[in-house]
Amino acid sequence: MDAVMRMMPVAVFFVALMVMGFYIQRKSADAAAKDFSNEYFIGGRSLGGFVLAMTLVATYSSVSSFLSGAGKAWETGFGWVYYATSQIVAAFLVLGVLGKKMAIIGRKTNAVTVIDVLRARYKSNLLANVCAIVIVVFFTTSMLSQFIGGAQLFAQCTGVSYVTGLIIFSVVVILYTTVGGFNAVALTDTACAIVMVVGTILLTISVITKGGGLENIMANITAASAQAAATGEGMDLLDPRASGNIPFQLYLTQWMLCGITTIGLPQSQVRCLGYKDTKSVHRAMIYGTIVVGIMMIGIHLVGTLSRGILPTIEGSTDTLIPVVIVKYMMPVLGGVTIIGPLAATMSTISSLLIAGSSAIIKDMYLHYKEEKKEEINQKTVANISFAVTAIMGIAAVVMAINPPDLIVWINMFAFGGLQTTFFWSMLFGLFWKKANTAGALLSIIGGLGAYCVTMALGIKIGSFHNIIIGMSVGLILFVIGNYFGKPIDDKTGRLFFPEKY
Amino acid sequence: MKKLTYKEKFIQMNKEAKATWIVAAICFLVWLAGGFGVYMATGNSWTICRMPAWFVLGSFGSWFAAIIGVAYLVKYVFVDFDLDEEEEEEE
Repeated sequence: MDAVMRMMPVAVFFVALMVMGFYIQRKSADAAAKDFSNEYFIGGRSLGGFVLAMTLVATYSSVSSFLSGAGKAWETGFGWVYYATSQIVAAFLVLGVLGKKMAIIGRKTNAVTVIDVLRARYKSNLLANVCAIVIVVFFTTSMLSQFIGGAQLFAQCTGVSYVTGLIIFSVVVILYTTVGGFNAVALTDTACAIVMVVGTILLTISVITKGGGLENIMANITAASAQAAATGEGMDLLDPRASGNIPFQLYLTQWMLCGITTIGLPQSQVRCLGYKDTKSVHRAMIYGTIVVGIMMIGIHLVGTLSRGILPTIEGSTDTLIPVVIVKYMMPVLGGVTIIGPLAATMSTISSLLIAGSSAIIKDMYLHYKEEKKEEINQKTVANISFAVTAIMGIAAVVMAINPPDLIVWINMFAFGGLQTTFFWSMLFGLFWKKANTAGALLSIIGGLGAYCVTMALGIKIGSFHNIIIGMSVGLILFVIGNYFGKPIDDKTGRLFFPEKY
Repeated sequence: MKKLTYKEKFIQMNKEAKATWIVAAICFLVWLAGGFGVYMATGNSWTICRMPAWFVLGSFGSWFAAIIGVAYLVKYVFVDFDLDEEEEEEE
């Protein structure tokens, strides 16, 4: 009975998301008939401030914060919440640094994807194709891991089997993304972000009241820390380094990987092409920073505070949030809360799916047709786009039923790999006139290669995360590469750097 | 909405990007001083709302710094202009 009650809000939410997808499709039908890819992949550049902020944050916050992140915070204490705090810069940095330049240049060059912008800047098909492949490979593996996380969560909270959970939940997200395109993704992301915030707040309230107030919870946490210090087992939950489990170097690299270099995530960058006007991007910076803080500090704090009511967890700490929901929350309220992490999963998948499909359609297929000067029917583009989006999603789901080890392994490189590819190339592309094609290509191939090889072989420098290696190699090779190859041509120069003329 | 030429927009955007980096650096410093700094100085003897002060100041402190910093940027540094003005005067 409880499981059914918990399902109710989830079912309502799923239906609402699908309705949004079809609604957007109907609403944008006229615009899509004129210029399909502009409407489908970037939503006709129409996002307002609130939706821009929500879609950026919802895409960025994935299921891993809600499952492994909160579980880790339960295990290591306040240090992990402090560690996760570095992500507060993730919303305003990309908008503040890249936001307007990408928007202006995107409009001038009619760019719909991140790769369109890079192609306009570096004029290299090789570079564009490498970037497109990086996106397709890493987005697919990331989607797969999101599907796995979402389906596990769905199964744990509702009692259905993993495969049933996977199918129900993937049908919803693939359907609304495929029919509605970018605008449906943005709108559903907004709904998802709102329920994530509500879920985080409900969880915080539930944990604090069930634990008999903060005073009680803190007394339990202090006792557990004292015991850990005395016996040497477990971790000091009140120590920022968690008894040496979070070394300072790891903190610094967390600021890189989940803070500063997140401006290199193409799924964040593409949002800079999709908003309406400067007012929207200004507002989005404020809203985004507020919301990312509530979610990132909030959900990890819930994890740590749960330690005060749940001294032990059976099995993996990833099950913490589902356990708290099932054990300590009233079914209907719990149902509303489950939507939070499910929404985190879906909003990430939908954005990866639409951007991944744009890499195939816009950056490869349409570009190829354009070079051959072939006339393209908008209707055909639409049908192919729907098909590619759906097939990409379905492929990820099929792999998620029985995840191949290779894919799980590749996914370890996804987050950092995307950053090493798109951080320097976009940043220097927009801000450094001397940056040229040879530099960008060398940086992407070398940086990504160095990152993946050192990750795969387990080569590390101290306790730093390998992103430091990828970024440094990418930077050095960029600078070296700039001495070779041709400098930027005059026309491109005037477009990207008018202030230098 | 300010009327800027294509060139002026880029000069303005370079300024905005720089200021955004500075706000991010300030967040990092608040995080470092409020968290590790306070922990080094007081350990866990100081609590705020019953939680360790290093955590509250480091986490919530840098979050508030980010919000205030961004509000400042948007109000005093960033400028509203048209993103897709057609043909403007070239020099």
